[in-house]
Amino acid sequence: MIQVENLQKYFKKTVKQPGFMGSVKSIFHSEKETVKAVDDISFHVDKGEILGFIGPNGAGKSTVIKMLTGILTPTAGNCIINGQNPQKNRKKYVKEIGVVFGQRTQLWWDLPLTETYAVLREIYEVDEAKFTKQMEFLNEVLELQPFINSPVRTLSLGQRMRADIAASLLHNPKVLFLDEPTIGLDVVVKDNIRRAISKINREEGTTVILTTHDLEDISSLCKRIVMIDHGKKVYDGSLYNLKQKYGQMRELNFEAADENSILALDYENAFASNGLGEGDLTFKADGTMVTVAFNTDKISVEQMLNYTLGTVHVKDINVKDADIEEIIRRLYKGDAEHGGSI
Amino acid sequence: MRKFLKTYLPFTRAGIHGATAYRANFIAWFIGDIMYCFVMYYVWRAVFASSGSSTFNGFSMTDMVVFLFVTNLTGYLTESDGSFAVGEEVRDGNIAMRLIKPVSFDMTFLFNELGQKSLTFTLIFVPMLAGVEIYKYFTYGRVMFSIGTFALYMLSVAMSYMFSFYMNVCFGFMAFFLKNLWGFNILKSSILRFLSGSVIPLAFMPDTLRSVMEWLPFSSLSYTPVMIYMGKYSGQEAALRLMLQFVWVIGFYIISKIILSAALKHVTVQGG
Repeated sequence: MIQVENLQKYFKKTVKQPGFMGSVKSIFHSEKETVKAVDDISFHVDKGEILGFIGPNGAGKSTVIKMLTGILTPTAGNCIINGQNPQKNRKKYVKEIGVVFGQRTQLWWDLPLTETYAVLREIYEVDEAKFTKQMEFLNEVLELQPFINSPVRTLSLGQRMRADIAASLLHNPKVLFLDEPTIGLDVVVKDNIRRAISKINREEGTTVILTTHDLEDISSLCKRIVMIDHGKKVYDGSLYNLKQKYGQMRELNFEAADENSILALDYENAFASNGLGEGDLTFKADGTMVTVAFNTDKISVEQMLNYTLGTVHVKDINVKDADIEEIIRRLYKGDAEHGGSI
Repeated sequence: MRKFLKTYLPFTRAGIHGATAYRANFIAWFIGDIMYCFVMYYVWRAVFASSGSSTFNGFSMTDMVVFLFVTNLTGYLTESDGSFAVGEEVRDGNIAMRLIKPVSFDMTFLFNELGQKSLTFTLIFVPMLAGVEIYKYFTYGRVMFSIGTFALYMLSVAMSYMFSFYMNVCFGFMAFFLKNLWGFNILKSSILRFLSGSVIPLAFMPDTLRSVMEWLPFSSLSYTPVMIYMGKYSGQEAALRLMLQFVWVIGFYIISKIILSAALKHVTVQGG
């Protein structure tokens, strides 16, 4: 369904010198530097698959999505989606895809939702019967009814995002691109949106590419992920494998009652018998705030909490899942250890 | 053609909605504009008073009043927000949302603006023009309005608008390269106001300058339709002027297409 081969995108960026004089100088003379936003990326997606496309901020995810949706022209490389090249015959191509950019809206700011959908129906030439049916379906999964007559500018972020997703699905596209569809939303809305995406994928066989920073999105929706960093692909495979290999890190954050009691903590010694390797345990203290990152393969959460709570008086404590940045850090370490084989 | 209209008329509807969403803004803009007309009226009255004669380069004071108001009214219909709208979408990156829809880029802007224009036409243009005609009736003591002249005027206005639209689109696309058009927009509009003859009638210019300005495309923005309305052109000259307008519309349409396709290859979407 989606074939991406050796995709590249270079940007020319103006280098600004710091300070007022630097700004003045840059008006008359500017230095250019080339940034490789996307550097030789290849992957493919099958029909009906949901692919998670992840990476840290600035990795080049959005740039790839923009090339796949025909907004940007690649510097080099090829992509064929649904048998078409997005850069050739844009109007024909975009008729069969749906796109949501979480940070922007495709809805008309001043129009009520119903009007927007009516406009989209004309643009995509959806016939009346199909439109009614699709609207009913979207209404049911995304619960649009309460705000369907309000102008878009009065909607909350969660409502707007649901409305945006509905707008991208009105014409029943074959491929759906979602660029951070859950950004800034609360847990309930996130959950609604996830359920909607998976339902649409199941019932319509829509192929989905999803970028996100939220590991929950990935684990509830995608079987396969592609991870990129600095414009290069660093992982392509199942989520399960990645988590097995690198996702076992947890982060313990707590605030100690007083600074002196932190001195009593000695994690290295306490878990010396667990056979710790490089990077399995890191300790950082800043005043009374302490962060401990640890590998749950070696040290269980229970062990960690027992030891910590038994040694210091704690005002506040929480344990966090490894975030994507952490997994990527681990991935690089693993890469070096295993001689570059993933 | 029917499919074309079905695709783009919704944008016109959206334009009407958009204009009515901010009513106070609309009214404030209108009042400000009328005030400008009266300021200009008093300026010209002072000019006429100090010149000591009742006509000035073939314009009587009555002509001058008609010129001021009709120029302003024509401006309502022919001015295009294109460069601002395109430039703004490029600057904040929202252009991406237009590119993911199966519609032509310039047509969506055009039809959207036609929505606003249809509102301006019925709510402001028609009543104000009736006012100008009533003023003429009382000064000259007879009805001066001719359907034929008015039809020619509307034809000229339509071409002025198309020219204005495509020129602004060309200019707006420059935002792809310049990233921000704010300063250039101000520069552009002050130059245009002079070159289009909307502040000072081109007839008041020295002969050589006048003929250069009349051949430049910018005179067709405002001066040509206003002169047609005022009956200052002979039939033959009016025909020539209309032809010239048509040529410029086609010219700028082609230029805008070239710039667009070059720009889309250069697109860098700003902000995420």
